[in-house]
Amino acid sequence: MSATQTRPVGLLAQYETPADLLHAALEVRDAGYRQWDVYSPFPIHGMDAAMDLRNSKVGYFTFAGGITGFFSGMLMIWFMNKFDYPIVVGGKPLFTPLFAFPVSYELTILLGAFGTLFGMAFLNRLPKLYNPLFNVDRFRRVTDDKFFVYIEAIDPKYSAESTRSLLEKTGATAIDVVED
Amino acid sequence: MNLRHLFRPATALIALAGLLLLTSAPVLAADAGDDAHAADPAHGTAPAVQGYGDTHGAADSHAASPTFLQSLGYSYLTAFLFCLSFALGGIIFLIIHHLFDAGWSVPVIRLAEHLACLIRPLTVALVPLLVLQDTIWPWLSISPASDHSLDVKKVLLNRYVFNGLLIFVFLIWNCIAFNFRRYSLAQDKDGAAIWTQKARFLAGWGIFFYGPSLTLVIILLMMSLQWQFFSTIYGVYYFAGSLWLTLATLYGLARYLSTRELRPVLFPRQVHDLATWFFAFTVFYAYIAFSQYFLIWNAAIPEETFWYVDREKGSWWEVGLLLLFGHFFIPFLALLRIDTKMSLPVMGPLIFWAWLMHYTDMTFNVMPVLWKNGLHVTLFDPLCWLGLSAILAKCFWSDYLKYPKWAQKHPRLQEAVTHHEIPASQTAAE
Repeated sequence: MSATQTRPVGLLAQYETPADLLHAALEVRDAGYRQWDVYSPFPIHGMDAAMDLRNSKVGYFTFAGGITGFFSGMLMIWFMNKFDYPIVVGGKPLFTPLFAFPVSYELTILLGAFGTLFGMAFLNRLPKLYNPLFNVDRFRRVTDDKFFVYIEAIDPKYSAESTRSLLEKTGATAIDVVED
Repeated sequence: MNLRHLFRPATALIALAGLLLLTSAPVLAADAGDDAHAADPAHGTAPAVQGYGDTHGAADSHAASPTFLQSLGYSYLTAFLFCLSFALGGIIFLIIHHLFDAGWSVPVIRLAEHLACLIRPLTVALVPLLVLQDTIWPWLSISPASDHSLDVKKVLLNRYVFNGLLIFVFLIWNCIAFNFRRYSLAQDKDGAAIWTQKARFLAGWGIFFYGPSLTLVIILLMMSLQWQFFSTIYGVYYFAGSLWLTLATLYGLARYLSTRELRPVLFPRQVHDLATWFFAFTVFYAYIAFSQYFLIWNAAIPEETFWYVDREKGSWWEVGLLLLFGHFFIPFLALLRIDTKMSLPVMGPLIFWAWLMHYTDMTFNVMPVLWKNGLHVTLFDPLCWLGLSAILAKCFWSDYLKYPKWAQKHPRLQEAVTHHEIPASQTAAE
C-alpha cells in the first residue's frame, strides 16, 4: 500500500484470556455498538450469545441450493428419459419420481453444499485480500495467544474518546488506532 | 425381581382384557358362528399349491370376514408393537450413550432407563400374543409340506423357535434394561466409576445382541404375518421408527421436566440436542423406508412386490401416502430450522403427531393382512392402543417418582451441566 494519507477506521483492543474477551464483548454489546467484531485463535463457547448474534443466514442459501438440486435432478431425468429420447428400460414407466429420486437426492446434497459454501463466502464478502487490521503489528498474535475486540469508526455510537474509555474499562491490555 | 412390581401391569392387563370383552360383547355374539368356523385350522388355509403374488395362503381366508378373535388379536399386536418401541428405543439410547461415553445426555439417561425398563410390563403383555398365536399368525396352522415358501423358512418359522426365541430374547432384554438401571442407581449411592465401566461392558455386548435379536423378533412378530415376504432391512425399518418415537417422547419429557425437577441439570442446549437427534431419525426412517420400497420396486420380484401390492389396495394407498407425508415430510420440514426445535407451538403438536404416525406405520404393516380392502378401524384399535399406552405411562411415572430424578453421581454429570451453550437463535428470541 502506498498510503499517502491515512485515516483512523476503528479501535483495536487486546485481551489476554478468552474470559476477558467474553466479558468485553458483553460490555460492548450492552453499550449498543453494532459495527464490531471479536477475534480469537479458537472458537469460544457462549460468544454468539455474548455478541447478540442471530442465526446465520447461510441456511437460506443451503435450502435454496438443495431445492434447486432436487428439482433439477427430477427435470433432468424427465427430460432425458421421457421427453428427449423415450426408451423403455426393464418394463418400467418412462418417468417416475422413484428412480429419479436417488439422483435428485444426490444433487440436493451437492447443490446444498454449494449453496452453503458460496453463501458463506458471499455473506462474509470473501475472498478479501486486504483488511486494515493487517496494519497493526500486534494483531498477528491473534493466530497464537491474544484476543481482540475491534470497533469500527462507521458505528453510529463511535467516538474516539468514549469508545477508547469503554475499552479501557473492560480490561484491555493494549489499544491501537487502526488506520487505512 | 420385585414380584409386586410384576403383578401390577398384569392386573392392569387383565382389567384391559375385561374391558375389551365387555365392549365387544355384541360383536362376539354376532361372530359366534364364524368363530367356530375359523377355529378349524385346516379349513380353507392350505391350498395344495401355494403361488406367490395372487394367493397368500391363510391370509386370504382372513380376508373374507375377520373373526372377533382375529380382529382383537391384530389390534392388540399393533398396539403391542407400538409400545415395544418405547422400551427398545430406551435400550438403544442407553447402549449408544455408554458406548460413546457421552457427556451431554447424562441428565436424561435416568428417563431413558425408565423407558427401557418398560420391557418388563411388555414381557407380561407378550403373554396374550402367545396365547392367541394360532389366531394371529396364519403360518402356524399350515403344514410346511403344502407351502413352498414356508418349507424353505421352516428353520425359523416353526412353533418351537417362535415361542422359544420370543421368550429368550425378551428375558435378555429385561436383563439388559434392568442392569443398566441397577448400575446407575448403585452409582447414585457411592459414585464409584466401576458402575460406569460395568454399564459400558453391558453396552458392548448389548449392541451385538440388540441388532440381531430385534430383527429376529420383528421378523417373527410383524413380517411373518405374510411369511412369503423377504426384506433384510425390515428390522432396521422398525428400529428406525422406534428410536424416532422414543426421541420424540424423550424430547417431550425433557422439555417438560427441564423447567421443573430437572431444572438444576437440564438446559435448553441438551433439549435442543434431543430435537436434533429426532430430526436425524426423521431422515433415517425415510431413508430406510424408501430404500426398502425402491429396491423391491426396482427388482420387481413377485415374492417381494406382493407385499406392497397388498398395501396399495383400497384406502391402504392413502395410508401409505399419509406415512410418506406425515412420517417424513411434515416433521422434516418442521424440524429443518434451528429455532423451531425449541418452539413449543411446533414441537408440542409434533410429539403427538409422531405417536400417531408411528401407530399408523404399525397399522400399515400389520392390518392389511386382515383387512384386504382398505383401512378398517374397529373399537379394539383405540382400546388396545390407549389401554396399553396408559399402562406403560403409569409404570413409567411410578418409576420416575420412586427413584432419584437424574443420575446423581455420574462421572460426567459436571460436564453435562456445563454443556449449556445456548443456540444463538434462542437468546435472540428471548
